[in-house]
Amino acid sequence: MNVLTALAGVVADLLREDVRRVLIGEDVRSGGMLGLSRAAMEDPTLGLRVLGSPLTPTAGLAHATGLALAGRRPIVVLPSATALLEGYAALRELGRVAATADGERSAPVLIIAPTGPGFGLGGDAADSPDGVIAAIPGLRVVVLGDAAEATATLRAAANFDDGAAPTVLLLPRSLVLRELDKADLKDSLGRALGAARVIREGSAATVFAIGAAADQAYAAADQCGLDVAVVEVSGLAPLDEEGILAAATTGKLVVAHAGGRAYGPGAELVALLADRAILHLDAPVLRVTGEAGPHTGQGEAAGLPSVEAIVAAISRVATF
Amino acid sequence: MEPSPEPEGVEVCLDPEGQLLDKRAAHGLDLRALYKRLVAARLLDLRLARLGLPMWAGSAGEEAVTVLTALLAGPEDWLYPGVRDLALAPMRGMDLDEFIRQVLGASYNGRPGAVAAADLGIAHAPETLGLHLALAAGQAHAQKLAGSGRMTAALLGEGLTTTGMFHETVALAMTSDLPLVMICKSTLWADDAPAEAGLLGDSVAERVKACGMWSRRVDGADVVAVYAAIDQAFKRARDGRGPGLVEAVVTRVDQAAEVPAHRDPIERLRRHLDREKVWTPTFQDVIEAEVRGQLERAFGHALKHQEAAS
Repeated sequence: MNVLTALAGVVADLLREDVRRVLIGEDVRSGGMLGLSRAAMEDPTLGLRVLGSPLTPTAGLAHATGLALAGRRPIVVLPSATALLEGYAALRELGRVAATADGERSAPVLIIAPTGPGFGLGGDAADSPDGVIAAIPGLRVVVLGDAAEATATLRAAANFDDGAAPTVLLLPRSLVLRELDKADLKDSLGRALGAARVIREGSAATVFAIGAAADQAYAAADQCGLDVAVVEVSGLAPLDEEGILAAATTGKLVVAHAGGRAYGPGAELVALLADRAILHLDAPVLRVTGEAGPHTGQGEAAGLPSVEAIVAAISRVATF
Repeated sequence: MEPSPEPEGVEVCLDPEGQLLDKRAAHGLDLRALYKRLVAARLLDLRLARLGLPMWAGSAGEEAVTVLTALLAGPEDWLYPGVRDLALAPMRGMDLDEFIRQVLGASYNGRPGAVAAADLGIAHAPETLGLHLALAAGQAHAQKLAGSGRMTAALLGEGLTTTGMFHETVALAMTSDLPLVMICKSTLWADDAPAEAGLLGDSVAERVKACGMWSRRVDGADVVAVYAAIDQAFKRARDGRGPGLVEAVVTRVDQAAEVPAHRDPIERLRRHLDREKVWTPTFQDVIEAEVRGQLERAFGHALKHQEAAS
C-alpha cells in the first residue's frame, strides 16, 4: 500500500480512539483528494464526525480553532500546504490562542497538508512554503522526512495530551506516494516528535536535511566517498536546537531542503549554527536547496535539492 | 450617498415619540430595569472614553444591541464580541475591578481595550478583521455536535460585511446549519460615511437572505424591536432551526454631528417611560448617581493600582 493509504487507516483509528476528534476538510466526506478520510468514511460510526466544509480558506481554519476552543480535537486535511497561505491570518490566530487566552483556553488543532514536488502537477502543488508556516509564532510545525515513519509521526502529531501547541504536519508529496509493506511502517518514533535524528553516522562532515531532502542527502553521503553524517531535521518549529548542535561537531556542515533558498527553513538552521556552534565550524555552512519556482509540472523536480549538488557541497566543506 | 437621518426598511415597535406600537413584542420585558442597564452601559462608555486608550472605539448609541445581547444570552451560550461591545462583560457578571484591569491591558492578554472571560462565555476578540465570526462558527459547531441546545452569538459592525471572513462564515454557518447568530450593528452615518457604507446596498439582512440565511432588520434605537429580533434569533438557534443574522441600524450619538434625539435608544425609551409616567428626573438622577459611584470606585482602585505599579 502507499503511504497515504496507511495514513488514512491511522486517521480512522484516531477518530475511533477519541470522540473529541473531528475531521474537517472541503472534500473529506468523499474521501478527500488525498484519500485520507476514505477509511473513516467506510466506518458508519465515524461519519458524524467527518465534517465537510465549504471552500473557506481563512474561516475554515478559524472554524477549526473555534471547535478546538470548545473542547474538540479537530484534524484539518488540506489539499496543499499553500492553502495555509490563503488562510494565513487564521493560522496566525491559531498560534496566538494560548497566549491571548491567558491560559484559560487552548486550541489543539492538527492540520495535515502535503508540501513540495512529487505529484507532477507543478505550481502550488510543487511549492514548499514550509519556512513561511514555521515562522508563525505559537505553532508546532513538523515535516515528515521518512516514509516509514509516516503513521507514527501522524499519531504523535495528533497527541496533545501534554499541552502541545497547535500542530501543522507537512507531508512531502515525494514521500507519500511511495509503496510500502505494512511491516516497513514503524509503530512508534522512538523519540520526541520533531527531534533531530541521525540517519547516518560520519565524522568528515554533517548534512542536515529537512523533509524530502533527507533521501537525497543520504544518497549524496553514500556517493561522495567520505565519512559523512546525515541528520534528518523534522521539527521546524520548534527547532530541536540541542539535537542539531550535538550533530554539528564535525565542523563541516551542509543544510539541504526543498523549496527556494531565500528565507527558507535552512536560513534559520544556519543562523542557529552560527549563533551556537561557531567554535566547531571549520568551513562556511552551505545550503543546498531547490529552486524557488514557480515550477512546471514536468520541471517540478527542480524544487528539490539534487544529489549532485549535495555531493558538491559536501566536498567543498570537507576540503575547505 | 446622501446622509439619511432615518433608517429605512427596519422593524419598529417603539416609535420615535416613545409610543409602543407592538405591545406583544415587549412581552416579558421589564422596560424600567432595561432602562437602568442602558444608562449604565452609556455611562461606562463615556467613562472608558476618558481613559484616552489608543485606538479606542466608542459605542454610545449602540447600547440596545449590546445590553440585550448580554441579557438574552444564556449562561452557557457563548458570545464573540467585536471592539464596541465591552459593556457585555459587566452585564454578564464580570467584576468591575477585573473588567477595568482588562480594559487597561493590565491582566489577561495584556491588550488594552480587549475583554474576555472563558467562565462567562465571553471570547477573546482577535485583531484580524472578522476572524471572530469564524471562531464563533467553530464554537457553535461544537455546541451542535454536543446536542447541547446552546448557541453562539457574534457581534460585528457593518464594515466587516465586505470582508471575505464574513462571507466565508455565512457559507460555513449555512452549510453546517450551525446554531450561530450574527448580530450586525449597521451604522446610520450622520456624515462622513466610510467608503463601504451603502456600497453593497443598505441592508445586510437582505444580503444574507440571498444566501438562504434567516434574518431580521430592526431599528437599533428601538429596544423593543431589538429585543424581539435577538430573542427570536437566539431561540431559533438553540432549537436547532439554524443560523441567523439580526441587523440593528444604529446611530452613533458620540459624534460631533447633530443627531436627532430619538435616534438615541436611551432617549427613545425614556420618552416611552415618561408617557407611561414611570420616569422622573429623580429616577434618572438616582440611576446615574448609583452607576457613577460604582464606576468611580472601580476606576479609582484600578488607576491607583496602575500608578503604583508603574
